[in-house]
Amino acid sequence: MNNTVLAKRYAKALFQVGKEENALDDFNKALAEMAKLHAEVPEVGDVLTNPLYPQDVREKVMTHLVEALQAPTLMANFFNLLVQKRRADVLPDIAQVFRVLVDEERNMCRGTVISAAAISSDLNDKIKSTLEKITGKQVVVANEVDPAIIGGIIARVGDLVLDGSIKTQLKGLEESIKGSE
Amino acid sequence: MKKINAKIIPLLVVAALVLCTTLAQAASGETGIPKEKWMDLLWRTLNFAALLIILVWALKRPLANALNSRRQGIIEKFEDLEAQKSEAERIYKEYEDRLTKIDQEVQSIIGSAVQQGEAEKARIIEEAGRAAEDIQRQAEMAVQHELAEAKLRLRAEIAEQAVQMAENLLKQNLKEADQTKMVEDYLEKVGALQ
Repeated sequence: MNNTVLAKRYAKALFQVGKEENALDDFNKALAEMAKLHAEVPEVGDVLTNPLYPQDVREKVMTHLVEALQAPTLMANFFNLLVQKRRADVLPDIAQVFRVLVDEERNMCRGTVISAAAISSDLNDKIKSTLEKITGKQVVVANEVDPAIIGGIIARVGDLVLDGSIKTQLKGLEESIKGSE
Repeated sequence: MKKINAKIIPLLVVAALVLCTTLAQAASGETGIPKEKWMDLLWRTLNFAALLIILVWALKRPLANALNSRRQGIIEKFEDLEAQKSEAERIYKEYEDRLTKIDQEVQSIIGSAVQQGEAEKARIIEEAGRAAEDIQRQAEMAVQHELAEAKLRLRAEIAEQAVQMAENLLKQNLKEADQTKMVEDYLEKVGALQ
């Protein structure tokens, strides 16, 4: 069974429990922090997943991590269970699927807006508003700056991509000149 | 043979009469020749006549047969030669006809060969013409293709340079307010489309 299918199963189960416990935010936060740690500190991922380390050592490491993150008890038990079942490598996927489930529950979606220069909060609100109007959902926008696009913005929300960058327009112009007779 | 007998018999009769007359004269003693000599002559003549008669009688049939056979052989040989002559003439005529036909055939073959040669010549010329046309067409197509590619390359180069220049100009001249305006216009356009 591949990690995506496993991650979906675990995430759905956690989502049901979190919803019943009204602790979706706490679960989401704990999962995001653990996934971040897993991704940003390779040693953590290595010690939790490498079978060369004894099982008890891996469990102890996870216990310390849970304490350090001050995760809710249910989440702490879940993390320990993953280590015991030797499925700690699925953690980042579970966190991602869980976040999507929570977003769907709250009629939310997350997006990225790339601009050539930092944009003001007013403009950011306008972008957010437009994206919400298009998707019909509440949008959480993350901003990125990429001078290579020269001007305009590129907004990505789920499968939706709005490309209003000058770079793309110039590319279109170039193709148009090349293709014209 | 019968004709010969008919001529000989009268001669023999005349000879016998002459002989008898002579003998009668001798017997009468009118000549100076003795009677004995006349009798001897008579005797000899009679012997000779008898010999002749015997010879004629004995040799008449074989001689006639031999001559007849010889005559028949000559006739047959003559007929055979005539037949051979006719056959030779016929063969000669046949060979003459064949020779004429061979001449005609030779002429026909030469004519046919000439016609084939002409046809082959025409075909080769036609093929060469077609090949020349193909080569010309291919060359024209190659030129057109190269021209089109050159145009495309030139257009692409112009487009790249134009875009590069536009990019540089925009980078140099684009202000924050322009950026904001551009984003707002785009949002407005996207919102309107939605």
